[in-house]
Amino acid sequence: MNRADASAPQPLTQPMNSEGRVLALEAQLKQALQHIADLEARDALKTQFLANISHDLRTPLTAVITHAEILRDGILGPLGDRQRESITGIINGGRQLLDQVGEILTYARGAANQLTITRTTFEFADVLAQLSALNDALVSKKGLTLATEVQADLAPLHADREKVSHIVGNLLGNAIDFTPAGGRVWVRAFASEYEGVEECVVEVGDTGIGISAEHHDLVFREFAQVDASASRRHHGTGLGLTIARKLVELHGGRIWLESELGGGSRFYFTIPYVTD
Amino acid sequence: MTPPLPHVLVAEDNTLVADAMRLLFEETGHRVTTAGTIVDVVRVASSDPVDLLLLDLGLEDGDGLEVLDQLRSRGATPKVAVALTGRDEPEVIDRCRAAGCRDVLLKPVPVSELLRKSREWLNGVGAG
Repeated sequence: MNRADASAPQPLTQPMNSEGRVLALEAQLKQALQHIADLEARDALKTQFLANISHDLRTPLTAVITHAEILRDGILGPLGDRQRESITGIINGGRQLLDQVGEILTYARGAANQLTITRTTFEFADVLAQLSALNDALVSKKGLTLATEVQADLAPLHADREKVSHIVGNLLGNAIDFTPAGGRVWVRAFASEYEGVEECVVEVGDTGIGISAEHHDLVFREFAQVDASASRRHHGTGLGLTIARKLVELHGGRIWLESELGGGSRFYFTIPYVTD
Repeated sequence: MTPPLPHVLVAEDNTLVADAMRLLFEETGHRVTTAGTIVDVVRVASSDPVDLLLLDLGLEDGDGLEVLDQLRSRGATPKVAVALTGRDEPEVIDRCRAAGCRDVLLKPVPVSELLRKSREWLNGVGAG
């Protein structure tokens, strides 16, 4: 090999005519599209893994909780108060873990577009009363007040009752979680109209720590908690709002928030009135 | 003469869960068999009539609901079949009902609820 020839100055790239440039760009585009397709396929695999693993985690938890309840209920013999207290702790911990695993499963199904809605007709006030009762103990334990207000003549919703309850439950859970003692939390529902369609608007508000404007989009993204230290103080999967958004979108509604740091938050979502 | 204990068949492929159910039902006056595959469930139920079948949907060798078809064709339908499932989507519930399940419960069913319901399901079974 003649090394002297090889070291002769060469242009770094050959000048291209326009046809050559188009061909090169087409090749790049093809490569980029392939790359996107590969990433999407890997993302789908991860989502499926998440769905599988969260389903599988439920099974041993079922065994743990069932055994603990057998003991607590005295089926194997009477217990002392302290023993019952301890076993109740195992059960409560197990059920909390189960709820969190359930949230991950719902998220994974949502991300894989495996969630469907089953519409029935129901009063929003009934859903709210149930959630209110469910959160009662936690609200008083934290020294908060919870107020609810449903427009008196609000038409019944035609929606997936369980999923609407899930949305409000997640928003209310956050409001309670992020509001310090002495604060207020409220839920209001009223009728409105958007682009010619009647809809029910639900507001979940609190006087809590609030969220600065730059983070308003971030909070709906999966696994996001605005302040990493907040995720240590406020346990949770970080999926509550992502799931809420997904469930709202499945109903054809919208979700947004009004908030500023230190000024509390008001989350809104809408469920359009539709007929089958 | 003491009436025979109601026969509960726990169709569940996870032995941790099956053992918990066995303990619960044996301690509360039932005779319990466990089986983790469609083949075993059908074999047990065909030779030893079942008063209450607690059916997990995901058995080792397939869809638990298949058990009900196979038992029906052998004339060995359990007196009561109940699905215990990890999924509560409406389509799963509809499928269980259509296959002949009296009830569909989401696991883990609280023990007190399971015992209360099983008394309802087994009302008159075995004791009479």
